[in-house]
Amino acid sequence: MTEQPGNPETPRAADATDPARRRFLGRTGLTALGTILGMAVPFERNLPAGFVPAALAQDTGLDLMAGKQGLVVLGDRPLNAETPAHLLDDDVTPYERLFIRMNGLVPQTALDQDAEGWTLTVDGEVETPLELTIDALKARFETVTRRLVIECGGNGRAFFQPGTSGNQWTVGAVGCPEWTGVRLADVLKAAGVKDSAVYTGHYGNDVHLSGDEEQEVISRGVPIEKALEEDAIIAWAMNGEPLPALHGFPLRLVVPGYPASVSQKYLNRIRVRDREHDGAKMTGDSYRIPAYPVAPGTEVPEEDMVVLTEMPVRSIVTFPETGTEVKAGETVEVRGHAWCGKGDVASVHVSLDFGQTWQEAALEPAPNRFAWQRWRAQLTLPQHGYYEVWARATDQNGIGQPPLSPAWNPRGYANNIQHRIALVAVA
Amino acid sequence: MSRIIKTFAAGLAALVLGVGLAVAEDRPDPMQALAGRPAGANPLDPMTAIRAKADAGEARAGNEEFGGLPDGAGAEETYYQCVACHSTEIIKQQRVTDHRWDELWAWMVEEQGMVEPDEETRALILTYLKTNFSSQR
Repeated sequence: MTEQPGNPETPRAADATDPARRRFLGRTGLTALGTILGMAVPFERNLPAGFVPAALAQDTGLDLMAGKQGLVVLGDRPLNAETPAHLLDDDVTPYERLFIRMNGLVPQTALDQDAEGWTLTVDGEVETPLELTIDALKARFETVTRRLVIECGGNGRAFFQPGTSGNQWTVGAVGCPEWTGVRLADVLKAAGVKDSAVYTGHYGNDVHLSGDEEQEVISRGVPIEKALEEDAIIAWAMNGEPLPALHGFPLRLVVPGYPASVSQKYLNRIRVRDREHDGAKMTGDSYRIPAYPVAPGTEVPEEDMVVLTEMPVRSIVTFPETGTEVKAGETVEVRGHAWCGKGDVASVHVSLDFGQTWQEAALEPAPNRFAWQRWRAQLTLPQHGYYEVWARATDQNGIGQPPLSPAWNPRGYANNIQHRIALVAVA
Repeated sequence: MSRIIKTFAAGLAALVLGVGLAVAEDRPDPMQALAGRPAGANPLDPMTAIRAKADAGEARAGNEEFGGLPDGAGAEETYYQCVACHSTEIIKQQRVTDHRWDELWAWMVEEQGMVEPDEETRALILTYLKTNFSSQR
């Protein structure tokens, strides 16, 4: 069992005999057990000290939150937590500040950091199906290390009116760690993609919330053209360490530009399909938007919903923290990141006067395609009082972020509303 | 410094208890005013978002016995039906239409393996959800 990167004192809990878990339960007291389990535990007070019910053996990952810093937990089963914007200031998002999006429970293999016997199967519409160990992946294909943005399709959902169902992410379901792995395209080409290939289907070993091992948690995919671009990787490391339990140990996809749900965690199979993939959360209205603009609150027929692909252009203000006091008349640096589902961002502008005038921020080039780009602006607040900084990124096609929520959609995806922070100038 | 300690303590309490997860924040945040649903808003009015209250953090405290769900007819039934799979946190975040609750119910039964209760309990739970976690009332 290895420690979480960046936090050697993180209590981790792998099994019932783990001393860290006993300490955790000891600290919280067994009365909290029902809450951790998400259900009532009759006769809980009769449990002997140190006894851990079997249900805890399949973990939500909640106790791993001790290794995260300052995240806002939206839900504990499944575990979902976002990062406040001012904690996303790092160029490379560290483990402690990377958002968590679980659809199910953390698999035991990930909790144990046990990759023994792990294989990745590549099958379906390919000439030569592959079954690769992690060592074989490393030996057979070129290793690449890249900073890639990973963003939940529902980032910004909280700003839609009327509300839409799902976790109410604001701006922090995003991060840009440095991933190490092999190109997805190289692996697909080695298997020989047939002309009949249309889509990929991704599978992992996470566990359904019901505990039913037969039930698929999430299995999404991308058009084969996207999979064959050189950007997507099959990663085994994040920020130079093995993938953490919450982020997909031992293997995951990182397919930048698309909703992060296509970047399957706990990856053990890629099935090339001859049609749009129909795995869990590909169909119905999951990760789908209307094929045409609809008025807010409209009920859209299922057949008119299409798969969300490229995420829209977006920027966030990561410094200063909203509400910070600054000196009137003195220059203050305001900075953040910008990214786009199509690749690089063209420009970032900021406004200090509620969108009446805008000034262009300095925008650094991306270290590689689909990394977020640092922007900085030097602002002077003319006199004391309340100010807002609004940030607006624009993509290579001249498409920018709206000041209000963009096209409403029934599940609340792809809301790239301009991020605003408050600054209070004192004399 | 005391704010940091307070925030840390609140975060720790939230972590340990799994409830009250949003940490109160006294710094002004213009994004907060854009989130959350104003009661009685017309969803077809584009100005709705601008008039929205920052009410996300002040949701009713709810009944601790039922994972923080607000008291009312159906609270207990809703709690036991739902926490078989997921916690109440995801329920408490929702402000959706009646139609969407019906769709979510069907999705949970058809796609997610939820065991459907008898018709009376089903009606009770859906009425409770539509009453307390609605974009329409």
